[in-house]
Amino acid sequence: MNGLLTAIRSEIFVALHTFASKLIVLAPALIVLLQSIIVKLSTASQQARDSLLGNSSFEDSIANNAYGYYVDGLSTGLTMLGLLLVAQAAYSFSYERDIGSLRHLLVRRVSRSSLILAKFIHLHVLAVLSLLLLILTSYVFSGMFWEFGPIVEDGFELISEAEIQEEIRLGLHLAIIPIPAAIAFGLFVSVCAQSATQAVTTALGITLALDIFKGLLGNFSNYIYASFQASLIDESYLQDVSRLVRGYSDVLIDDRVQQLNLWVPFPALLLFLALTILIVQRRKI
Amino acid sequence: MHALSIAGLNKSYGSFKVIDDLNLNIETGSIHGLVGLNGSGKTTTIECILGLQAFNAGDITVLGYAPENLHKAKGKLVAIFDSASLHPNLTVRQCLNQASLLCDKPIRSAAQVEKLLGVDRFSNFKIRHLSLGNKRRTSIAHALLGQPELIVLDEPFNGLDAEGVDDVLQLITTLNKEEGTAFLLSSHQLPYLEQICSHIAILNKGAIAVSDTVSSLLAQTATTVLLKTEQPEQAIELVKQTNNINFVKSDESGYLHIALDDMNSAALNQLMVESQIPVSEMILKKNSLASLFREITSEASV
Repeated sequence: MNGLLTAIRSEIFVALHTFASKLIVLAPALIVLLQSIIVKLSTASQQARDSLLGNSSFEDSIANNAYGYYVDGLSTGLTMLGLLLVAQAAYSFSYERDIGSLRHLLVRRVSRSSLILAKFIHLHVLAVLSLLLLILTSYVFSGMFWEFGPIVEDGFELISEAEIQEEIRLGLHLAIIPIPAAIAFGLFVSVCAQSATQAVTTALGITLALDIFKGLLGNFSNYIYASFQASLIDESYLQDVSRLVRGYSDVLIDDRVQQLNLWVPFPALLLFLALTILIVQRRKI
Repeated sequence: MHALSIAGLNKSYGSFKVIDDLNLNIETGSIHGLVGLNGSGKTTTIECILGLQAFNAGDITVLGYAPENLHKAKGKLVAIFDSASLHPNLTVRQCLNQASLLCDKPIRSAAQVEKLLGVDRFSNFKIRHLSLGNKRRTSIAHALLGQPELIVLDEPFNGLDAEGVDDVLQLITTLNKEEGTAFLLSSHQLPYLEQICSHIAILNKGAIAVSDTVSSLLAQTATTVLLKTEQPEQAIELVKQTNNINFVKSDESGYLHIALDDMNSAALNQLMVESQIPVSEMILKKNSLASLFREITSEASV
């Protein structure tokens, strides 16, 4: 299809031989690994101090439950992955346009729309690889440092492991849904910007501004895909799952918000992708 | 058959007209040079041909395809740009391997083209670590992987040393003769173009001022003699009275510029001697595209 396969092969070839793509795949998992080690050291020193002072907490069993740390790892990793994907999406097209390497593809084999679709698909491949590595790293290291088990308080099982896993699955599902829209947003900024630097700063700037100021938007923020991304000021359901698996029983996902989380990112994705393809047809490359 | 055909091309940036009704045809198997001053519209023309930027009016057909559909030519067209246009973090070999993905049927391996362009020593060097000349060679190596029918080169001699220029000129000639590849070369380097081009088009202020075969263009330019004598007034009078030679001008250094239409320099010297006008210096300026180019561009700027 107008060189789509060639463009994907070319994208993957460059990804295999350059650093940026490897960073996206590895960085979230490495950050989670680092976070797990730091938190383990911190909790171990806190427990040692409590033990020395004779303090004991009825929450010890909850504090030692690996599920909380596992979800924290996922949340941190997804926050990082989201930002990296937006930045890389903004960078990839604009940088290759700046250096002129896109021209070879366009002149020889690939249509402009195929080029955008190839980048979109390639970034999803990176996202999936990164996500799998992130889930694996977070799960393995949480299990290594703490113990997975149900939430038990005063000898009563508050939440079973099956329920916890179901909540984590839902939280992860809801947090992943906005990622394609984030990638499409990055590509949209990339084709609009005049340079790679401008593209990356604009895409990250808008993403972070949406994150910081979404509180000011009130109910309107529910109609912005970025509100459902795992982010620095997190309002995604994954953050609530983190509280849930630590024994907070007041966590309930609003059904309306869940529905918006499921459906808002799709129109945003289609809109950004359509605008990107429309603009790239008219741009000087 | 035309490898490239441009009819009535117009391109403006706002109110500034860069290309004004440009018409150009490149025959299959020819080597066509496109020359012009800085800002004359060479690169813009090439970008329009390659579909890299839109134009306001006109028709362009490249190997039977419109510029926006060049990808359908499946590698029959290759363009080498004025900048290297290579990924700086790939090595030379990786760049060429990536480029071979774009060829329908690669006829040479990356290693073979590296050797042809003399960059095999730098095979494992990243592009960002190469000199300008070697980046240029690697860029040109792209064209040799497949069997293109048309190669467009924008300023191919930029950054190349004398050996590099010779290699590129040799390659262009070989590919043209052995594989029938047509070339469009945009350059300031008229002496190089004069060596290899079958046709030259001179672009001036966005329009083709002259376009013809090199031999026809050379025939349009007269050989000039710079002559110095102690009796310039008598020499000018003699030249004006003689057929087949024309007085052009006298310059600040005291040289008389005389155009030879149908007379050689020896005959002119003999004429002066016979008329008892002592000639102290005589410099022959052979006809060249450079003089024609200067003539055209200076005429247009007056």
